[in-house]
Amino acid sequence: MAVVNKTHNPEPEQTEGQMTRRRLLTWLSSFGLFGSAIISVISNLVFIKPRATYGQPNRFSIGKPEDFPSGTRIAMDEQRVCIIREGDKLCAISTTCTHLGCIVAPSETGFACPCHGSRYDQDGNVTGGPAPEPLPWYKVTLAPNGELEVDKGTKVEAGNYFNV
Amino acid sequence: MRWALAIASFVILIVHGWVFYDQFFHKWERHQNAYFDQARAMAKTDAERTALAGRSPRIEQIIVTAFGEKGGENRVDRCTTCHIGIDDPRFKDHAEPLKSHPFSEALGDRMINGKWERRHKFSDFGCTLCHDGQGRGLDTFYGHGEDHYWPDPLLGYVTQNWRADFKPKLKNKEYMQANCAQCHTEENFKSTPLVAKGRQLFYEKNCYGCHKIEGLSTGTLGPALSEAGKKFKLDYLWESVVEPRANSATSFMPKFNLTDDEVKALVTFLKSRRGINFSETSLDRYRATLDKPKEGGVELTSTTPATTPKAEAAAAGTTVALGEKLVKDHSCLACHKLGAVDGGVAPDLSFEGLLKDDNWLLGHFRDPRALVSDSIMPAFGLPEGDYQAMTTYLSSLKTPPALGAPAEIFKNNCARCHGDMGNGKGMIAVYLDPYPRDLTKAGFMNSKTEDRLVASIREGVLGTSMPGWGKVLNDEQIKGVLNYIQTSFVKDPRRPLKARQVPETNPVASSKESITRGEQIFLQRCTGCHGKKGDGKGPNSLDILPRPRNLRNGEFMNSLSDRRLFESILYGVQGTAMPPWVDYGLTQKEVGDLVNYLRSFRQGKK
Repeated sequence: MAVVNKTHNPEPEQTEGQMTRRRLLTWLSSFGLFGSAIISVISNLVFIKPRATYGQPNRFSIGKPEDFPSGTRIAMDEQRVCIIREGDKLCAISTTCTHLGCIVAPSETGFACPCHGSRYDQDGNVTGGPAPEPLPWYKVTLAPNGELEVDKGTKVEAGNYFNV
Repeated sequence: MRWALAIASFVILIVHGWVFYDQFFHKWERHQNAYFDQARAMAKTDAERTALAGRSPRIEQIIVTAFGEKGGENRVDRCTTCHIGIDDPRFKDHAEPLKSHPFSEALGDRMINGKWERRHKFSDFGCTLCHDGQGRGLDTFYGHGEDHYWPDPLLGYVTQNWRADFKPKLKNKEYMQANCAQCHTEENFKSTPLVAKGRQLFYEKNCYGCHKIEGLSTGTLGPALSEAGKKFKLDYLWESVVEPRANSATSFMPKFNLTDDEVKALVTFLKSRRGINFSETSLDRYRATLDKPKEGGVELTSTTPATTPKAEAAAAGTTVALGEKLVKDHSCLACHKLGAVDGGVAPDLSFEGLLKDDNWLLGHFRDPRALVSDSIMPAFGLPEGDYQAMTTYLSSLKTPPALGAPAEIFKNNCARCHGDMGNGKGMIAVYLDPYPRDLTKAGFMNSKTEDRLVASIREGVLGTSMPGWGKVLNDEQIKGVLNYIQTSFVKDPRRPLKARQVPETNPVASSKESITRGEQIFLQRCTGCHGKKGDGKGPNSLDILPRPRNLRNGEFMNSLSDRRLFESILYGVQGTAMPPWVDYGLTQKEVGDLVNYLRSFRQGKK
C-alpha cells in the first residue's frame, strides 16, 4: 500500500500536518485491508488447532470415591490411567510408558512396561530401563454430581494427592 | 475511485470480522462461562473451588462405546458442551441450557440416603441414545436436529417443518419411550406404557394382518414395518396412520378412525421399531433366532372360553355377543360395511347370514384366498374359537335389507360394487379382483342367456366377490333387477342367441399326454393375456378391461361346466378381449386338451 501511495503521489505535500482528503482515504483503505489481513492470519492460525478430537475425551468421570477403597490400584486401560488410593489420598497416574508409549502394567514394586522393560516405582519415578521421564500425574477433582473426574489435559506434580 | 477502494476495504474488514466472530466466539462458550461463574459463586468447599479452577470453555464430548449406531461406530455426543450443568444437582432450577437433567423413578433413578442416584449415567449412555438429535452438533439448529434433512430430530421436542395440524400432537416427551424400548424390549416394561399400548393396538386393530414386523407379524399386503422407526420421523408415521393416502396415492389401507391417544401409542410403538436392539450384540441376536421356533407366527391368545360343543350351543347367545365384540374390536369395519359403519374398502356384511353359510365364513376366515383367490383380505391368524364366534355372529345377521322397486334394489345392494351407473366402478370396485362386471357392455350382457345371468345373481359367482342373492331376492325380484339393468345400462335390446356346436362334457379323456398337449397350446396361444402361469397376469393384461380371467382361481374354475369352457374358448367372450379361437384354427380336440390342462391346475393342490 505504501509503495502504491509513493508512486501515485507526485504532488508535493503542501499542508504538512494537515489531513488531506487523499491521505485520509489512504489511511482508511490501508486500515481496512491490513485489518482484514491480520484477522485472516489470526483465524487461520487458530483454525489449525482442532477444537475437538476423536477418541476418549480428556476429562472423564471414573465413579464415586467409594468405588475405590483404600489400597486400590486400578489400571484403566481404555483411558490409560491408573487410579491409586491410600487412606484419604487418591491420585491418577498415566499408564502410557514415556519411552515408546506402550501400556505399562501395575506390578509389585510399581509399574513395569512389557515392551522394553522400563521400570517405575509406586509414584511413577523411573527405576530402570530406557524410559526417559517419570509417569505423569493427572489432576483429579470432585464433580458436582459426587463423582471423581480425571483431567488428562492437566498434569500435576508427583505427590500431589486429591484428598477424599 | 479512491472512495470506492476505501469503502470496499472497510466492507472486507467487516466481513472478515463477522466471519471471525462467528467462527471463534460461540454461544456455547457463553453458556460455559455463565456456568463457571455461577458454579464458582456457589462453591462452598475448597474441593469445589479447585475443581473449577483452570476450567475454561471447550468442546465437551461423551463417546458412547457400548451402544453402536451403525456398524459398530461410536456415538459422539457433544450435547454437554452447552448443557454443561446437566449432572450438577445445584442447577436443577436453572433455565436451559444449564439446567440439570431431572431425576425420575421412571428412568430407574433411585433415592439413596437422601441423594438421587442415576440409573443411566451420562458418561455411559450419552444423550442421543434416548433423546435423538445430532450428537455432534454444536448449536441448537444442528444439535437438536431442526435441520429438515436430519433424520432423528430431538424426539418429542423438535418438529422441524412438519404439518401444522400434527405439530402440536408430536411435541410430547412421552414419545421418548420409543427409545427406551430400544433396549428394554420386554413386552410390559413398566416405563414404556405407550409402546406396550401401541403393540396391543397393532394386534387389536389388525395392523398385523397386512404389515410385517420381524418376530411379531407376517402380513405381506402392506409395507414391512420392522424398521419403521429408523426410516421415518414421527410426523410421517402419524400422517400414514391417520391419512394412509397422504404419502402413497395408491394405498388401500383403510382409515381406522382412531383416537389421538391411540394414534400416539401406535406411532410410539412404530418409532420403537428400529430393526435392531442397541443393547444386543450380533451374537445375542443370533442366539435369539436359535431359541425361537422357525415359524415366526403370531401368538394370539384366544378370548373365547374353552367349552365343549354342547355348552357352546347352549351359550350361542353369548357367542353371538362375543362375535359381535370381536368383529367390532378387530377393526373389521375399517374395511367392511356393517349397518351404518362403512369402511369403504370391502363388501357389506350387514346381512351376511343371508349371503353366505357357516362353512364358507369359517373357511374364509381361516384363509380368505382359498375361497376368493385374489382377495386382499389377509388371513389374520386368530384363534379358532374367535373365528367360530365371529362366524356365528355374522351368520346371525339375517335381517334382509329394505327392498323396493328394481331400481331401488340395484341402488341399495348392487351399486356398492357395480356402481350407480352400472359401469362396474362402484365405491369398492378397485379393491376387488376380479373387478365387478361392467353392466353397460351390451356385447357381453346380450351374449349370455338370461338363465345364466339369473343364476349368477341367485347363486353368486364362486371365487369372486359376487355373493349369491337367492335368500335376499326372489326370482321375480331378480328378473326385475335384470330387466332394470337391461333397460337402463345395457340399453341394446336382446336378440335371440345362435345355437352353437359345443359338447356338454369334454370329449377328450384327461391323460398325461392330453395335458402336455394342452400345455403346449396354452403356451402358444394364451399366455399373452392369461400369463405363463395362467394367473391372468400376462403381458397384455394391463391394457385389457375386463382383465383376463385368473385361470388358477380354483373356486371359480371348478364351478364352470365343460360346456361353458368350450363355449368361451371356441366362440370367445363377447364384450371382452377373449377372441373366438375357432376362427384361429383350434379344433374341438385341441380345446379338449386345453380344458384338461386347465383342470389339472387344481389336482396338485387338493
